[in-house]
Amino acid sequence: MRTIPRSTLLLLVIAVVAAGCAQASSAPAAGPDPTDWEQVRSDAEGATLDLHMWGGSTEINRFVDEVYGPRLAELGITLRRVPLADTADAVNAVLAELEAGRTTDGAIDLIWINGENHATMRQAGALHTGWAEQLPNAALVDWEDPAVALDAGLPVDGAESPWGSAQFQFVHDTTRTDAAELPGSYAELATWIEEHPGRFTYPAPPAFHGTRFLTQWLYELSGGAEAWADGFDEDAYEEAAAELFAVLEELRPHLWRGGETYPNDIADLDRLFANGEVDMTFTQLPAGIGANVEAGTLPDSARPFVLDTGTIGDHHYLGIPVNAAEPAAAMVLADLVLDPELQTAKLDPANGWGDGLAIDVERLADEDRAAIDAVTAGFGDLALPPERLAEVRLPDAPPELTDALDRDWERVVRQQRPRS
Amino acid sequence: MSAWWHRHEDVRTWVALSPALLLVGLLFGGAVVMAGLRSIGLLGIGEGGPSLAAYRQLVTDPGFARSLGLTLYVAVVSTSLSVVLGIGAALLLRRLGAGRRFATTLFQLNLPVPHVIGAVAILALVGQSGLLSRLAAQTGLLDAPAAFPAITFDPWAIAVILQYLWKEVPFIGIVALAILSASGDDLEEAARTLGASTWQRLRHVTLPLLLPGVLSAAVIVFAFTFGIFEVPLLLGPSSPTVLPVLAHRRYTDVDLAARPEAMAISVVITLVVVVVVLLGAAGARRAIRGDAAVTEVGS
Amino acid sequence: MTRTEPATTDAPRPATQPTTGGAGATPRPVALAVVLLLGLLLLPFVPLVLASFAQGYFYPQVLPERWSLRAWQVVLEPDGATWAALRDTVTIAVSVAVLSLVMAVPAGRVLGTRRFRGRRVVELALLTPVLVPAIAVAIGLHVVFLRLGLAGGVPGVILVHLVPATPYVVLLTAGVFANAELELEQQARALGASWWQAQRHVTVRLVAPGLAVAGLFGFLVSWGQYVLTLVVGGGRVVTLPILLFATASGGDTAITAATALFHALPAVVLLVLTSRILGSGALTTFGGAR
Repeated sequence: MRTIPRSTLLLLVIAVVAAGCAQASSAPAAGPDPTDWEQVRSDAEGATLDLHMWGGSTEINRFVDEVYGPRLAELGITLRRVPLADTADAVNAVLAELEAGRTTDGAIDLIWINGENHATMRQAGALHTGWAEQLPNAALVDWEDPAVALDAGLPVDGAESPWGSAQFQFVHDTTRTDAAELPGSYAELATWIEEHPGRFTYPAPPAFHGTRFLTQWLYELSGGAEAWADGFDEDAYEEAAAELFAVLEELRPHLWRGGETYPNDIADLDRLFANGEVDMTFTQLPAGIGANVEAGTLPDSARPFVLDTGTIGDHHYLGIPVNAAEPAAAMVLADLVLDPELQTAKLDPANGWGDGLAIDVERLADEDRAAIDAVTAGFGDLALPPERLAEVRLPDAPPELTDALDRDWERVVRQQRPRS
Repeated sequence: MSAWWHRHEDVRTWVALSPALLLVGLLFGGAVVMAGLRSIGLLGIGEGGPSLAAYRQLVTDPGFARSLGLTLYVAVVSTSLSVVLGIGAALLLRRLGAGRRFATTLFQLNLPVPHVIGAVAILALVGQSGLLSRLAAQTGLLDAPAAFPAITFDPWAIAVILQYLWKEVPFIGIVALAILSASGDDLEEAARTLGASTWQRLRHVTLPLLLPGVLSAAVIVFAFTFGIFEVPLLLGPSSPTVLPVLAHRRYTDVDLAARPEAMAISVVITLVVVVVVLLGAAGARRAIRGDAAVTEVGS
Repeated sequence: MTRTEPATTDAPRPATQPTTGGAGATPRPVALAVVLLLGLLLLPFVPLVLASFAQGYFYPQVLPERWSLRAWQVVLEPDGATWAALRDTVTIAVSVAVLSLVMAVPAGRVLGTRRFRGRRVVELALLTPVLVPAIAVAIGLHVVFLRLGLAGGVPGVILVHLVPATPYVVLLTAGVFANAELELEQQARALGASWWQAQRHVTVRLVAPGLAVAGLFGFLVSWGQYVLTLVVGGGRVVTLPILLFATASGGDTAITAATALFHALPAVVLLVLTSRILGSGALTTFGGAR
């Protein structure tokens, strides 16, 4: 009968000893040196590369498996794509590993990140830094462009390498909402919501699209994105947030389900939109919704639009955790995705994705540029013209702002408690 | 040596039990002890010594109380309805003549189906743009998804409870059927010849016969419906949410300071289940007297 | 007992077969109620099947306007994610079944056939891990597993699946031994069989079907695990439930539906096969497979 307590004691001993060992081990090793690319390539050979990325889109998953997989195999690297329901799971996994003293040979070699997740990992010192600008293909990236060099206002410092770009767009259905009725600003959107009760909602923050939707609204109420160009300002935030949450409270009864519940993520919102439960959804793809229509997740009559007051455009990146088991192979993939041919393939919705470029067109050879033009010409009216997107593009907000918005939204909107 | 071995049956008993007990002791006991220690600030990365801060935070957080209430409500309602409907289904199936075996097979088809699938399926059935809503629209009954009752992600967690019933009614039903078929018809037959009415036979013969086994099964149902994570995550209300989802949310919070709270919630979940199991086991033992009824469930 | 098979085997309506059955006729209200009950239980599969064969299956379509095999082609694609997930799920579930049986046979035999002091405590100690929610086990063990290097790999996931699986398999095995007529083993010994011969020719045959069901049960407990795999596997071990969740977060309802059916089918087939082989009595065990 005394078996159980005694054996748990044993476990405790093991755990404590293991913890002691872990703490005694050294700090994480420095990463491979990308300026010696031959060395990186040979270190990477034979590796199995664990790429952790949001896995909700079958098309994107296929693109990664079928386009990058064979190219890596030629270089002697096996790609293992790990699908995540939420990127924060991977961030948390790395932090948990580090907390447990696992400073080398970690489970994750490369993560698809940006924004808050990047900020979180940087604060915890959980990413290798200083490598991204040294990759051979990094020469094709315009590192002077703040949209590349700053991720949500935080300097990238070579801790993550750009993979693609995106810009927030609204989506409506031409059979339900006339283009003429579409709002041109958040103020007009608020009116539209009041006039169409139950026909609008947004994903619950901290889901990416939900946070971004509210960030843009906060921009409009606080005098535009320029107000935040110098970083986060507590007082300015308090003022704008008070106004924003007052408006949201006023609109609550006019939202889908009376604002009692919100979709978990963009996939839920797409489903509500496609089934006619609401009249708007969002997309992030510069190539628009062609891939969604092709897959049958959005109706043929759906069309993207943007507000005249602007929408946020940004880049998304690949980062290498400090305890990655195969950092060299991770760098090889981060370099490979910048290859002009593969960037063009990714831009083409016919290949299932339609993601924006991470490289600078000005730096490309003529034939590469021509290939990209040919792809953009084929977008049709399921995408907005690139000039229109460029015209209204806004920079992303500092991470403190999006953090504060997420926190306040949870408190005020979800739990219906006063903002502290 | 061999003679000593044969003489000491005690030793042989515990040696035979030891692999399984060691596994349970090390892994399960370890999990509970670790969660307990970390909930009071030991063994984690937290600075400072032991503290009850995490529990204090839970007690003062109105969100936690609402979550606990919701979780208990869901478990109690699901368990009670499963027991009533499951016994009803068993009595019904037992009255089948031909095709009883086939019907019984169909009846338990859901049992091995993982919960995630059940949740996805229920959403596709009773969501506001699900199949039932579409049928209502096609027959002209309703004209828009919003007109269909909102029973997914709703504060009363109706879709969650429906999903549990879908899984647990067959479970209770099969347990009841097994007990009924093991005991045969003799007692009921005797009661009938003594002139007992249908209701009297049910009340004084069948239900008492079912009680110990079904009670044990109900404890199992309560424990599962109290502790499942994936179903409320896919179908349930988000605020308040059930305790398992809340624990996971805290555990995966990027703010590591929320971890002791996650551990404390998991300790609360464990305690509630252990108390219910002990009460249920005692009840079942009283109901049957003698054999350990808990082991009979499922065997 | 003889049974009359329904005339059409592909769509049998057992409850409405009015007469000539073994146990006698079924009253019409009972038959109708049973049909209703079974209909309700099977109904949730209908939208899944429809969605999996559809393209652009939006409200208010009941039957898809556009039928399509796209989702099934994606899901069944050779070298695709589904097959890899199936391989991992089966590897883990089979290991769990085998390992838990190895531990369960000696323990179950003792529990099923001997009375000894502390037996009730042992039973309760075994029952608790079955019942305490997986989320509590998962987050309690996660850090320990990380420190021991067991998190993020198949061995760690197998180990953590053993927590709910083993106790249940032990309790089932105890039932099997309790009901087996082990006196036959004594008789064989009395008739001159060696201990090994008695085990091989008598005991094993007596308990094998029951042990098979117990092992199957361990398999199914592992088959449906989500949260233990999620936390301890750290996302790196992609079993079918993990894949299904990731797919569901993507919003392609056709592929989600096809993945869900792909995941459900093996479990259901195992159940039906077992019910054919062992008769329905043994099937009570499936109750806990969740």
